[in-house]
Amino acid sequence: MTLSQHLSSLLEAGIQVLPPERLPAYAIDGQTPQAVAQPATRQEVAQVLQWASAEGLAVCPWGGGTQMGVGNLPRQVDLVLDLARLDRLLDFQPADLTVTVEAGMTLAVLQSALAQGGKFLPVEAPLADQATIGGILATGATGPLRLAYGLPRDWLIGIGVVSAQGVASKAGGKVVKNVTGYDLNKLYTGSLGTLGVIVEATFKLSPRPADFAALVTGFPSAVRAVLAGQQLAGQVFAPQGLQVVTGPVVRRLGLEQAGGNVRKSPLAPLYERRVGGISRIAPEPRTGEALAIAFFQGRGLAVRRRLEESRRLLQSQGGSEAAVLDAGVGQELLGRLTGLGWAAETAPRLGLKVSVPPSAVGQVAALLSEDAASGADTGIIADPGFGTVRLLQWGEIPPNPPFAKGGSGGFDGSPEKIARLRDQVRKLNGWVVVEQCPLGLKQQVDVWDVEPQALEVMRRLKQKFDPLGTLNPGRFAGRL
Amino acid sequence: MDQPSLAGRFLDELRAIVGARHVVSHPEDLLVYEYDGSIDRRAPLAVILPASTQEVSRVLALAYREGVPVSGRGAGTGLSGGAIAAPGGIQIGFARMNRILEVDTVNRTATVEPGVVNLDLDMHAHKFGLRYAPDPSSQRACTLGGNIAENAGGPHCLAYGATTNHVLGLEVVLEDGAVVSLGSLARETPGYDLRGVFVGSEGTFGVTTRIVVRLLPLPETVKTFLGIFPDLDSACTAVSAIIGYGIIPAALEMIDALSIRAVQNVMDAGYPPDAGAVLLVELEGLREEVEDTSREVEAALWEGGAAQVQVAEAAEHRAKLWLGRKNAFGAFGSIAPNYFLVDGVVPRTKLTQVLRQVSEISQRYAMPIANVFHAGDGNLHPIMLFDERVPGALEKALAAGGEILRICVEAGGTLTGEHGVGLEKKEYMPLVYTPEDLAAMKLARDAFAPANRLNPGKIFPDGQDHPPSPHRAAPGLYA
Ligand SMILES: Cc1cc2nc3c(=O)[nH]c(=O)nc-3n(C[C@H](O)[C@H](O)[C@H](O)COP(=O)(O)OP(=O)(O)OC[C@H]3O[C@@H](n4cnc5c(N)ncnc54)[C@H](O)[C@@H]3O)c2cc1C
Repeated sequence: MTLSQHLSSLLEAGIQVLPPERLPAYAIDGQTPQAVAQPATRQEVAQVLQWASAEGLAVCPWGGGTQMGVGNLPRQVDLVLDLARLDRLLDFQPADLTVTVEAGMTLAVLQSALAQGGKFLPVEAPLADQATIGGILATGATGPLRLAYGLPRDWLIGIGVVSAQGVASKAGGKVVKNVTGYDLNKLYTGSLGTLGVIVEATFKLSPRPADFAALVTGFPSAVRAVLAGQQLAGQVFAPQGLQVVTGPVVRRLGLEQAGGNVRKSPLAPLYERRVGGISRIAPEPRTGEALAIAFFQGRGLAVRRRLEESRRLLQSQGGSEAAVLDAGVGQELLGRLTGLGWAAETAPRLGLKVSVPPSAVGQVAALLSEDAASGADTGIIADPGFGTVRLLQWGEIPPNPPFAKGGSGGFDGSPEKIARLRDQVRKLNGWVVVEQCPLGLKQQVDVWDVEPQALEVMRRLKQKFDPLGTLNPGRFAGRL
Repeated sequence: MDQPSLAGRFLDELRAIVGARHVVSHPEDLLVYEYDGSIDRRAPLAVILPASTQEVSRVLALAYREGVPVSGRGAGTGLSGGAIAAPGGIQIGFARMNRILEVDTVNRTATVEPGVVNLDLDMHAHKFGLRYAPDPSSQRACTLGGNIAENAGGPHCLAYGATTNHVLGLEVVLEDGAVVSLGSLARETPGYDLRGVFVGSEGTFGVTTRIVVRLLPLPETVKTFLGIFPDLDSACTAVSAIIGYGIIPAALEMIDALSIRAVQNVMDAGYPPDAGAVLLVELEGLREEVEDTSREVEAALWEGGAAQVQVAEAAEHRAKLWLGRKNAFGAFGSIAPNYFLVDGVVPRTKLTQVLRQVSEISQRYAMPIANVFHAGDGNLHPIMLFDERVPGALEKALAAGGEILRICVEAGGTLTGEHGVGLEKKEYMPLVYTPEDLAAMKLARDAFAPANRLNPGKIFPDGQDHPPSPHRAAPGLYA
């Protein structure tokens, strides 16, 4: 039987299949699938996987499609399993602070449903109105508030998956504390859909914070801002989120909109503060300069205290006078910062994510700033409290980059440079993941960064959970 | 390994690895290793006390070659039979691997060996203005290695999460002796979350030899409330009211009348002897946060029907209130010689209903059942009190425990919130998981331990009976 014959049998079974003209929109790293199925239930997901695995097809689960460029080159893309129709809110128990949802629901839709019950899921993701719960879990997506709330793994308490061979199972449950059996929640979270297709998730929730505010301070260099931020993160009055960003990032946050437009911009107050005399916190820092942005969330009095003390500490560490953003503007900024680099308009040519212990963020920022200082259109988003540095490079790099002088530098797409940076970061007990890059680079490097002995265990897990290599073959660490 | 000479040669080889003094094999010396804090019992072939990862690795490689199953053993405070050796198996004890290797104040992490006692780490962190948040009530005795294996919880896990939320990196030795690092010193490690799935694997995936945990800054303000209630129902209502106000306290613990009596029998924790139940509520954080939420907590306690609300801000007063809670299990020795407790979890809104059912069971079985538990997360600890010398009493306690677990599951809950499945609850697993769910879990184990040599016979139902023998309640053991 040909694939299309199979598809017609799926159609007969009532499973929705997209017409051929819509397939190109589902290309992964340039590979267009032969078919896209849109099951509407867990049973349909199972049915699709049963025949797909029996036929030896490669199946790529698809949530909101916001992170489909993440991962190594797929070995094969036969069938995309689009989970957008599994978008029901299954069980929201405000009084128990738990919610169960299907994997295809977007984060934004879920948050607004939770807000109606006075609750909030402390999980963030780029492009929350497109990103689905399943996709967020599969990629382990996060945002700036991870400093206070941790990672999606810390909030997931139950999961429903369908295996590569189409067998449904669950792990965890609906209670907030649970050690009944292995914690497979952790295994599926961050597995990029290579161990099973996530169809359902249960989270514990947080009461909805009453207040929100943000603070923006300028620093003469990214490293100075990072060191100040690191100090701040260890205080009892630490903000809930803290980011250091450099000029090219700020430019793309839309803070610099000039003239008449600025009044319409939700970020206008920041601009006005600047115009009103705080010239040292140029919303668009000059080359080499950086902004520290702190986010506060919680009860009013506590938010005010955190904000005041954070402002003082940052200033005492060399920060400029601060601009304070109210809830509306602050949240807009938070959303833009979280999504930066993931929307088409801001997508970089190269995006790296460096994870290190927080004390090494300054060194990493220094390594990477050489590049930023070289005049290339390269920006940094650093999280000095959590230990993450993202490097985003837009546009081409000059052929003979000035940072070749033994630094990390020059992410001109050469595998050698990536390898060198990995060596340097490894010495700092950290990792470099290539999140976004030209396909040419993907052919030459493993975008993931994993130790060999750990990779061996991962290989065995993949072998056990997906023996035929049905799910996202090739995309995970070690091209599993 | 049935021939004595073979066993003898094996023991000699073990002695060659760790030194003769560090292999315990005399039957009398093995008595203390037969049991943990639960009801199961079996003597290991020997207990090996290695001093380093290399020794652990060599011991495991040898046992692997010889086909001998291995179980890790921390302090033996486990409450599900987790540390009990498999038939013919050896235990690896960590009494000699008990050093705090490093506290990194900038990154707020600690690196420790598995035998470090939970409270010792916390107290050590205090010197740097930091804390290790997971605080099982057994924290004076239990080890980090055991905490990792069970994903231990504790009163303050309500706000801060259980052990798994605090572990960054692990060095583990697999069944064949291979040493692997899981996670790292960074908050995020690329690849599958191996340390995440390892935590709570009850010693079946690997033997933990080194642990990196997160430390948190000590809170600025701590305030503890003692809500005194006429009965359990009203205390449960107050629990719902607190959560309903949108407050997640640092801790929210329930102590019922029988537990109050037991505690007050052995110490003065300041719980009124005639109360139907007390709630311990702890708020932590910024001054402003604590003040702000205090009013609402107090209101919720009154709304629930409290007869009296006491506030403790001074450290000594708070310590006194907590001492009672943390020593409650030991205190039951003042009421009955033996206890058996179950660890079911229910959605917090089901507390009232489920506790009523527990009380019915107590009446039906004519067996006192005490309740002292983590109310904020719905994690019950019904404690059957009995005397093993009375024929049939143990069986009755086990049956009552089984009924309670069923009730928890029916209420939308689960079998265990923090103590683990171990030997004790493995046959109940089908109550919550389908064969497919269990098969997926086994795949994970097969990836870590393909030969299933580590702590075999735990977690999964296999119809294998395990001879329970009751654990003697030990007043003062943890005091
Ligand atoms: C009075 C009392 C109160 C308690 N209160 C709580 C509580 O509030 N919260 C809670 O969660 N638990 C509680 N417990 C249960 C128990 O203390 C915890 O499960 C604890 O984590 C066990 O630690 P341990 O060192 O005693 O481990 P053990 O009992 O020795 O072993 C437990 C498990 O860990 C494995 N293990 C131990 N060390 C290693 C290692 N290095 N590598 C691999 N596997 C290993 C063992 O094989 C076993 O499966 C309590 C127990 C008692 C007796």
